[in-house]
Amino acid sequence: MTDVSTPDAGTPAVSVKGLSIYNHIGEVPAVTDVSFTVHPGEALGIVGESGSGKTITCRALLGILPDLFEVTAGSIELLGRDTEPLTQREWTALRGSVISAVFQDPASFLDPSIPVGHQVAEVLRVKKGLGRRLARERALDLLDAMRIRDPEYVYLQYPFELSGGMLQRILIAAAVASEPRILIADEATTALDVTVQAEILDLLTDLKDRLGLALIVVSHDLAVVSQLCSNVLVLRAGEVVEQGTKGQILFAPQHDYTRMLVDEHHRFGLERFQRRAVVRG
Amino acid sequence: MLHRLIRLPSAWIAFGLLLFIIVLGIVGPAIAPYDPLDGGAKLLASPSLAHPLGTDYLGRDTMSRLLAGAPVSVLSALEVSGIALLVGAIPGLLSVYLGRAFEWLTLRIVDTLIALPFLVFAIAMTALLGNGISQAMLSVGILLAPMFYRVSRAAALAVSSSQYVEAAILGGSSTVWVLRRHIWPKVIAPIGIALANATGAGLVIVASLTFLGIGVQPPAPTWGGMLASDLGYLDYQPYAPVFPILVIMITVWALNLLADVLRDASGESGRIMLKKRALVKSKKRRATTVRRALQGGQPT
Amino acid sequence: MTVEADVLGARQVRGRPIAAKAVGGLRVRRIALGILRPIATFLPVFLIGTFITFLLGALTGLSPAYVQLGEAATPSAVARLNHQWGLDKPFLVRYWEWFSALLHGSLGNSWFDGVPVSELIGQRILISLSVAALALVLGVVFGTLFGTISALKSTSVIDRTITGFLSLISVMPPFTVGILLVAVFAVGLNVLPSAGYIPLSQGFGPWFSHIILPAIALSFEPVAALARQLRAGLVSAYNENYVLGSIVHGLSPRRIFFVHVLRNGAGPALALLGLILPNLLGGAVVTETVFGLAGYGVFASSSALHGDVPAVQGVLVVSIVVVVGFNLVVNVVLNRLVPAAQRGI
Repeated sequence: MTDVSTPDAGTPAVSVKGLSIYNHIGEVPAVTDVSFTVHPGEALGIVGESGSGKTITCRALLGILPDLFEVTAGSIELLGRDTEPLTQREWTALRGSVISAVFQDPASFLDPSIPVGHQVAEVLRVKKGLGRRLARERALDLLDAMRIRDPEYVYLQYPFELSGGMLQRILIAAAVASEPRILIADEATTALDVTVQAEILDLLTDLKDRLGLALIVVSHDLAVVSQLCSNVLVLRAGEVVEQGTKGQILFAPQHDYTRMLVDEHHRFGLERFQRRAVVRG
Repeated sequence: MLHRLIRLPSAWIAFGLLLFIIVLGIVGPAIAPYDPLDGGAKLLASPSLAHPLGTDYLGRDTMSRLLAGAPVSVLSALEVSGIALLVGAIPGLLSVYLGRAFEWLTLRIVDTLIALPFLVFAIAMTALLGNGISQAMLSVGILLAPMFYRVSRAAALAVSSSQYVEAAILGGSSTVWVLRRHIWPKVIAPIGIALANATGAGLVIVASLTFLGIGVQPPAPTWGGMLASDLGYLDYQPYAPVFPILVIMITVWALNLLADVLRDASGESGRIMLKKRALVKSKKRRATTVRRALQGGQPT
Repeated sequence: MTVEADVLGARQVRGRPIAAKAVGGLRVRRIALGILRPIATFLPVFLIGTFITFLLGALTGLSPAYVQLGEAATPSAVARLNHQWGLDKPFLVRYWEWFSALLHGSLGNSWFDGVPVSELIGQRILISLSVAALALVLGVVFGTLFGTISALKSTSVIDRTITGFLSLISVMPPFTVGILLVAVFAVGLNVLPSAGYIPLSQGFGPWFSHIILPAIALSFEPVAALARQLRAGLVSAYNENYVLGSIVHGLSPRRIFFVHVLRNGAGPALALLGLILPNLLGGAVVTETVFGLAGYGVFASSSALHGDVPAVQGVLVVSIVVVVGFNLVVNVVLNRLVPAAQRGI
């Protein structure tokens, strides 16, 4: 059950305390009193149905809350730094180099008129100050590290010429290119085939271990979360229903809602993870 | 869609103006205070009580001439868009159902029509078919047809590939019902918008042609023709062209406004826009309350 | 980055010569298609357009006799002149002769005075194109300016003012603006000339002062159309997910605008340029009348009124060639900026 790298006890990479966000459009609270921490090398899973507030929480972590959503209480600290007083310019500097993200529907998150390789290289040029040629080399290395064959060829492809799995790898490459300490994967595998899903999840685990990333995996799918994460947070209607280690949530769910989620996933094969955990545990 | 239209203030303005102009078009000549061809008064006079819009170089009352010229301009513009609708919409719809060859051919013809400059082509047609307003209208109508071709083709494509139509037919609804309930609303809006735009364009082209002396011969009054004579006497009466220009501009503006209003009221963007307006209004209210609360003590 | 050290060596070992060739091939294929596709689209337009032009002329039944002799044209005179001009040959023969002459650059001779049409138009086309080109430049500059500002400040007061201003401008046909400009600047203020044309060779100042007013008159509609289209395109591009993606990667708003939003949002506006040109050429007819310019527009008009068919045909062909050529260039540029498949072609 434990991961390969030992998380260092020390400053958590992400520290959220009592976060509450109000939705002015729908006139309802979107998130109420959410707290969690993620240490480097650790993976936290946030589980919930649509509308549970998982995406809004992620957006708050990235500083990209939509208009008319307002943080009404609590604090967010990234690498020990409070994000509340940050200006736009400071946020721009923070994003990419400290915290980054990949989302669902990878095709729409890439510029359709620029070859994908250039977009990865762009992150390197802007955030790492690399020159053209060096950025291209490094981008090719990244594509290769994402287990893409023929990186030189893929480099020049446009997004519409590539499959969802490929595109997601490229987005992950772009996200880690600037060496962030924190990576958010918001439903990153939801739009992909099952086999591709497994590969991407493997890739993410690999990156987390090798780079010491603090990973936050958001999903409605408990199976995805249990494959990657050591800790789990369950959200419903913006409130924390239950949180704890994977073992606690999966085998000893306290709350009815959590129990219902776990039971539902039984029908889709969650036992595999449970059994393996029992054997190791 | 109608209920959304009613809520937009600009819709009222557009409809009101257009109704007024159409009425003018119909009864204009009858209510003109003076005979538009009768040149008795002072030449090139500035606006006065007797002649609210002044007179032209032959002493004819400008307002009467404008009113008399209204039918030609308004009706020709409508005629032009009507022709464009027929010539364009039918091939547009058919292009989706009659196979690739027909589709390719009509697409290329449409491209060609777009490439031809309006006025040059209209003039060429009058040279070839005779110097009459109907020939010019026909040629302009043909040139505006691509607009309707594209709109009806897009509507037909959207409908033919939509799944709700398939589902409705499979579910047992009659074709007529499907046409009325699903297809008609989707088609009528873009065509309405195109009609408004085409009529505006048609009006401008009619005015340009009559300005050049093509179509209606003087001394019959037309808005464009009046501008042509005003141009010659600009040194003596620089304000003369203002009135025909205003009339043309207001009519075209009303038509464009109608097109915009139709576009806003139909489709998703319309609904979202109305919601946004309501939201901004309520947010403004909230913002002012918050501001007042922060300033301390001022009654809301 | 730890990845680099252990992976870089592996990639070099795995180096694939096949990939290199494929990459080169991909590039060449893209550039070739970017040029060939527009040509394939516009060649039919040229062919069909010229055919229609010839067809119209042949259908009229007009004859050089009416042009030269007017009312005095007896049926025998008509027959004689028709034979002299080769107009009694079969339709397809005439078409073929006309079209092949066209490809060699000859537009036939005017029925009015026998002078080659290309000569008559040649002198005048420069004037019309000067005005149209300046109008286009004005349209692009101000259209881009207004479109960008109203998109960046969308829904603010500035945006609404600009939009209102644009709707005002868009309903002012070129000849009305022209007349107003003459009234204000030439007659009222006496600052600019109201008529005539001075070639560039006689100095930039005079040349410019003669074409600036007609160019402004023609530019109103392009400015409004371009600004609107650009605003719509930019606003919709800003709503796309890739903007969010760029923000998350930590790119600056300035970079996001210039590199990503502008490129994708300007596509429709750029395509609009190709449609604007025919309107400019068409509008030339009236502006030349208002401003007393001896351009190809008035030539078309007077030829049409005289019934001089070759001259009118020549004018139409020149219009087609200019428009098609311009659209070709615009489409090649578009293909470079935005991949064709994205535009659904």
